[in-house]
Amino acid sequence: MQRLIVWVAVTIPAIASGSSLPYFVDIAAEAGIVAPTWCGRDDKPHIMESNGTGLGLVDYDSDGDLDLYLVNGWRLDGEEIAERGRDVLYRNEGQGQFLDVTEAAGLGSDAWGSGMATGDANGDGLVDLFVTNFGTDVLYLNQGDGTFEEHPDSPNLEGWSAAAVFFDSDGDGDEDLFVGGYIECTLEEVLMEKPSLVWEGIDVMKGPFGLEGLGNKFFRNQGGGHFEEATVEAGLEDVGLFYTFGILAADLDGDLDLDIYAANDSNPNYLYSNDGGLFQEVGLWSGAALDEGGAAQAGMGLAAGDVESDGLVDLLVTNFQQDMSTLYRNLGDMIFEDVTRSVQLGRPTFSRLSWGTTLSDLDQDGDLDIFVANGHIYPQADLVADKVGGGFRQPNLLLVDQGGTLVDVSAEAGPGLAVEEASHGLAVGDIDFDGDLDMAISNVDEPPTLLRNDTKEPGTYLLVDAPLAMRAEAVQGDDKWIRHRVIGGSFLSVNDPRLHFGLGGKRQLDSLTLVWPDGFQRRFLDVPANHALKIER
Amino acid sequence: MKPNLKLFLVLVAVALIAMPSVAQKTPSSMVAAYDSLATIILSVPQAEEALVRAMLDGHFHGAKALMKQGMYDRAAAEMALFANEGDNAVAGIRKRLVEGGHHHNAAGEEQGIYEEGYVLVTREAKKKMLASSTAMRQAKDDVAREAAWKEFAAVAEETLAE
Repeated sequence: MQRLIVWVAVTIPAIASGSSLPYFVDIAAEAGIVAPTWCGRDDKPHIMESNGTGLGLVDYDSDGDLDLYLVNGWRLDGEEIAERGRDVLYRNEGQGQFLDVTEAAGLGSDAWGSGMATGDANGDGLVDLFVTNFGTDVLYLNQGDGTFEEHPDSPNLEGWSAAAVFFDSDGDGDEDLFVGGYIECTLEEVLMEKPSLVWEGIDVMKGPFGLEGLGNKFFRNQGGGHFEEATVEAGLEDVGLFYTFGILAADLDGDLDLDIYAANDSNPNYLYSNDGGLFQEVGLWSGAALDEGGAAQAGMGLAAGDVESDGLVDLLVTNFQQDMSTLYRNLGDMIFEDVTRSVQLGRPTFSRLSWGTTLSDLDQDGDLDIFVANGHIYPQADLVADKVGGGFRQPNLLLVDQGGTLVDVSAEAGPGLAVEEASHGLAVGDIDFDGDLDMAISNVDEPPTLLRNDTKEPGTYLLVDAPLAMRAEAVQGDDKWIRHRVIGGSFLSVNDPRLHFGLGGKRQLDSLTLVWPDGFQRRFLDVPANHALKIER
Repeated sequence: MKPNLKLFLVLVAVALIAMPSVAQKTPSSMVAAYDSLATIILSVPQAEEALVRAMLDGHFHGAKALMKQGMYDRAAAEMALFANEGDNAVAGIRKRLVEGGHHHNAAGEEQGIYEEGYVLVTREAKKKMLASSTAMRQAKDDVAREAAWKEFAAVAEETLAE
């Protein structure tokens, strides 16, 4: 038995015996988060304009609270660039207020942004930012004084890059980088494009079929933030040049290293099994590449979590409208089973075009719920909204786990769930130190939504900040909850890296055990609920 | 230089060398070259089919061997790869061919018999074999495993025999 090294951010709200339905309020405007994130023209004739942008909840200044980074795109008008949107960094000032500190931080790129990843690229203990762009990707190195400097030789996909994750692929202690590519296209093609695909009798943007995929790339960190491309050498080749959108890293086979799962639009998903830093693509035989009918879906966003607390990480993939999001149950040994229908995920997700997502305990009743950010890619969907089940702007979706089946509680989950935008990026974390999970959502051509979790009677919780720990297991009597380290996921966005446990009404845990990649464990006894813990190895 | 450009230049050279001053009939050298090219073109789908058949045969026998070794999850995975006509690397090549306008079973695709770009595995066969693969993964005893294998093997052997 060992003692906790550091206890921080103690908050003790009234302890509930159970939990009520989640309740969310949009506080973006009152919090000062007002910058719109652009994505092309109003009528979106090129598929580049379908992308939207990501965002990240990241404590860039190490002051203990989560700040917000917004990736921004461009606004087009006809064949002209009307506005080069600038990325924005909002510092969390506490009391529900965020301050735009972009300029002071030396940020504010006006490249056409796509997504982002965070990690410690140069091993100095500070969180760095990697922003994927339509064009050149940029790594911003944290200087430790509230400012960033561009890496002089940043890893770069050059083209339309999408999601990215920093992760230690080979256990050498530094963080490597995997970047997903969507399609090959040029700015001139984007500017000159006209709608050329007939959908529901309307001319809309074409693609991705018929367009050339942009290959994913893996960059190995050689130490000190020096990266070298090693895609083929590592076995992470984009063998199909598929259209990759979402990427996450998690230990999917329980061997304590990080595997890679990639959601591909209109193509089978990739699953790269990690064996000591060498990867093998096992998507199709694992069962996690296709839906239960053997069809490739239009993979957009991803989430991972241990739905059954059986120690195995399950996978959630969001897809296009008039198709279901897909939940793959992990059966062990890298074998997955599509359980979408049995958990009743199909019906509520079928009529939405879905992007960023999470498997998180939003009401803290002890099981994982699902939130999905929705929005169509065709503005023309408004003309046939009744027929296809939704227009360009769509409400987001909240499903709670009730006895093993998912129940849509969006209509009862507060005014925050009534917001209708074309929502794409989603980042989840506790922004206000109350222990429950809040959500930041990027909206196409509009300012973000910031959903504060105001659940009236949430269950108890535990927030665990344990850098590099692969998983944490909480036990109380016969109850057990397991949370795994998941990097990336959602859609182009970055979540709070801390492990969040909803504990129902439990006031204390019998034990909390953490496991690191080399198998090293720390176990703590009699851990009180409703705390945020920082645990060092 | 791309191979098709090389071939084009060779054919142009042959044509120029063989071109008579008054073209009353097609020069025999050009006819011979075209005949050779036709043989190559017509043999391509056969070669494609033979290659895919060999890949599927590998997955079939791989699954069979893994079954015998008691590695049922791995056997189920091989069955899934058979159903999908290969792994994601093969799917990538299939995608490239389709986007380049090559459909091995164009008529069959139009009739809904084949998925785009598939060479040997029909939609119906794929569905049945994926179901067998799932059944193999979920089987709790040897009876269930044997049943799953029998269903898979029947469809797989029929596919390979066609």
